[in-house]
Amino acid sequence: MRAIVLVGALASAVFLFASASPAGAQAGDAQAGRAVYERKCALCHGEKGDGKGPGADLLDPRPRDFTTGIYKIRTTVNKTPTDRDLFDVITRGMPGTFMPAWDVLPEKDRWNLVAYLKAFAADKFKEAPKKQELPKEVADLFDVITRGMPGTFMPAWDVLPEKDRWNLVAYLKAFAADKFKEAPKKQELPKEVASSPESIRRGKEMYEAIECNKCHGAEGRADGPSRPELKDEWGHPIRPANLTKRWTFRGGGGRAEIAMRLTTGVLGTPMPSFIDSVEKPDDIWHLANYLASLGPESPHYATLLTAEAVNGDIPADPVAEFWKRMAPQNIPLVGQVTIDPRNFNPSIDMVALRAAWNDKEVAFHVTWDDPTQSGADAAKKASPDVVSLQFPQKVAEGADRPYFLMGGDADAVYLLRWENGKGATEASANGPTRIVPLAGGEVTGQAAYANGQYRLVLKRPLVSKGPDRPTFQPAVFLPIAFQAWDGGAGETGAKMSLTSWYYLRLEEPQSSRRFVVPPVVAILTFAAMLLVVRVANRRA
Amino acid sequence: MRRALGVVLAAALVAGVALFVQRPDPVDAQGGGTVEVTVTYNGAPVVEKLKVNKDTEKCGTEAVIEKVVVGGNKGLANAVVSVPTAKGAPKMAKATVDQHGCKFVPHVTAMTPGDLELKNSDDILHNIHTYSTANPSINKAQPKFKKVMMEKFEKPEIIKLTCDVHSWMLGWVAVLPTPFFAVSDASGAAKIENVPAGKQTVEVWHETLGKQTKEVDVKAGQVVKVGFEMKK
Repeated sequence: MRAIVLVGALASAVFLFASASPAGAQAGDAQAGRAVYERKCALCHGEKGDGKGPGADLLDPRPRDFTTGIYKIRTTVNKTPTDRDLFDVITRGMPGTFMPAWDVLPEKDRWNLVAYLKAFAADKFKEAPKKQELPKEVADLFDVITRGMPGTFMPAWDVLPEKDRWNLVAYLKAFAADKFKEAPKKQELPKEVASSPESIRRGKEMYEAIECNKCHGAEGRADGPSRPELKDEWGHPIRPANLTKRWTFRGGGGRAEIAMRLTTGVLGTPMPSFIDSVEKPDDIWHLANYLASLGPESPHYATLLTAEAVNGDIPADPVAEFWKRMAPQNIPLVGQVTIDPRNFNPSIDMVALRAAWNDKEVAFHVTWDDPTQSGADAAKKASPDVVSLQFPQKVAEGADRPYFLMGGDADAVYLLRWENGKGATEASANGPTRIVPLAGGEVTGQAAYANGQYRLVLKRPLVSKGPDRPTFQPAVFLPIAFQAWDGGAGETGAKMSLTSWYYLRLEEPQSSRRFVVPPVVAILTFAAMLLVVRVANRRA
Repeated sequence: MRRALGVVLAAALVAGVALFVQRPDPVDAQGGGTVEVTVTYNGAPVVEKLKVNKDTEKCGTEAVIEKVVVGGNKGLANAVVSVPTAKGAPKMAKATVDQHGCKFVPHVTAMTPGDLELKNSDDILHNIHTYSTANPSINKAQPKFKKVMMEKFEKPEIIKLTCDVHSWMLGWVAVLPTPFFAVSDASGAAKIENVPAGKQTVEVWHETLGKQTKEVDVKAGQVVKVGFEMKK
C-alpha cells in the first residue's frame, strides 16, 4: 500500500517536473522586478515604461516603449514574445544600440524584470505565445558546395550564383534518388557547454577514455597506430584529421561544427558517431572544447621571417626552453606539381620557423608535423624524412633570385638539409635532381621526434666558408625557401612539398637607447606643461 | 478503494503477460518437417594472417582472418542456410555479436529483422562499421566502457561488419526474411526444424563462395536431407 502511494508521489513529481515551462523559463515576480527596473532601467525607459526616461532624448534608436507590448525580437508566430525572448534581450542587450547586456544582474532579477515588463502591457500578454517553426533546414549540400572541403581539392564554389548552387543540389540528389526519399531529420546537439578549463580537462579525459588516439594520435597529430590501415568505404586509404589544424577540418573547425561531426560521425570514412558512445551527452561538448584547445581555428601565416639577435649561446637542443619562449612563424607548404613526379597530396603542409643569431652563428629551429618517423632503408625501399632550407648562394642587393624550385641551370641555390638518420648537411643545387653535397662546412643539426612532430635545430657560422655559401648579415632581406619530404608517405626526389621564396631578416640587436630616450622625452614634455600652466596662472 | 484499484491493475498486468506468453506458436509443430543440410567444399581453406602492432594484450600478436573454413569430410563452416519460401513470425531469441579478442564472435550471425545486440568484451575501443544497402549503414564508436549496444536492422540483407580501429576484424550478419535458418557448424552441418510442409526452397550463402539454392519437398514429421557442394 505504502509503495503504491510512494510510486504515485514519484509519478506526480516527475509529471510536475516535466510540465515546467520550456527552455528553462522561470516565473518572475513583477513586484521584485519593479525594484530592479527603477534602479537600472527607468533612466532610459521611463518610470511608467513609456520609453520617455530622462535619458531618452539622447538616444537613437530611442528606448523601447513597453506599454505598447511591441517587441522587435521574438521567436513566435503571434505578436507576443515568450518570456525567454525578453530574458534573452535583457541578457544579451541589443547590439548596435545603447541597450547594454544585463548579464551582470543575477538571473533571478532578470526573470523578475521580465514579469514587470509584461505588466506594462498586460492585455497584450493575455494571448499565449505561439512558437514559430522554421522551414526544415536542408542546407548541408548547399553549404558544402559553397564552402568547399577545407584540406582537399574541392574548392569553395561561392563564385557560382546562388540559384546555380541550389540547382546543383537538386542534380546531386538525383544521382542517388532512392537515398533521398526519406526526409532528412535534423540532428539535435546536447545543450551547449561553454569552453572552460574544467570542460577542456573533462574533454581530454574523454579523448583518452574513448581512445581517439587510436587514429588521431596522443596529441592529435594524426599519428595513431591504426593510421596505416584506415580505408574509406570505397577501399581507398584515408588519413585521419590532424586535430591541431582545425582549418583543415572538412566540415569546419568551429566548436559547434566539431560537436556535430562527433555526434553524427563522418559517413563513408572510418570516423564513427560518438553520441551513443560517450558517458554523458555533455561529453560531446567537452570533447569539442578540448579539440578546439589543441590549435587555432586559422593558421596565422607569417609573411616576413625574422631571426632574433641573442647575446650568448644559442641552445642546440630543439626542446630547450629557449625555443619555446619564441613565437613560431608559420609558413604554408604546397605539393610540388611543376615537374614529375608531382605531389598532389602532400603530407607536410606547414613548417614553423624560429630563428636566432649571435656574433658567431645563426640557428634555425624548424617544427613540422609528420605522422610517420622514417629513415632510409634500401631493403624496404623506404625513403627518409627530410627538410631543407634554401638560400641564394650569394646575397646581392637587387639581384634576381634563383629559380624557386631548387635553382636553375645557371643559378644554383645553397641548401641546409637535414635527413633523418643522416643529420645535417650542406649542398648546392641546380634543380631537384641535381644536388651536390658541399664538403668542409660547419653545419650541425639536432632533431627530436615525438607524437607525430619533428623539432629540429640547424646551426651554421654566420660567415661563409667558400664561394658556394652565403654569409648571413644583419638587417638584410635574405631570400629563403623551404622544402620537406615525408618519407613514410613515399615522398622523395621531386615528390616533395615546398614554398616559394620568402624573406628572412636578422634583426639588429636593439640598442639600450630605447630605455633612455622615451623617458627623457616624457620628462621634458612634463616640464614644458608645468611651465605653460605656471605662465597661464601668473597671467590670470 | 485504492486497494481495489491496485488489485485491478495487478490483474490487468497478469492478464497482459499471460496473453503475451500464451501467444500461439507461429509454427505448427504438427505440420512441420526437419531440413538437414550438409555444405561441403572441395577446395582448400583460405586463411589470411596479419601481424598485429597494437592492442596486442587483447588482440594477440597475430590476427587470423578465416575466409573459408573447411572441416572434416570437406564440411564448410560459417554458411548461412535458410528456407526463404517458408514464412513465419520472427524469431524471439535475440541475436548477439561479441567483439572478443579483436574478432567478431560468431563470425557469421543469422537473424530475422529486428534488434542485434553488440557486445564489447575487449576493454578497448572498437567501432561498429556496417556495409549495407537496404538498411542504413552504421558507423558507431563502442569505447571500452560501452559494454553493450543495440542496433536495429529492419530489412533483410547480408551486412558486412568491420572495425576501422582493427582493420582485420570482419564479421557478417545475415538478416533473413524467414525465421527458418541455421549456420553450418565446423562439419558443414546445419539443421532447420519445424519447416512448414510442402515444396520449399533451401538457400545457402557463404561470404566468399556465394549462393546456391535447391528445391525440397518437406513432409510433416519427417527429415529431409539436402547436400550442397559450394564452388569458387
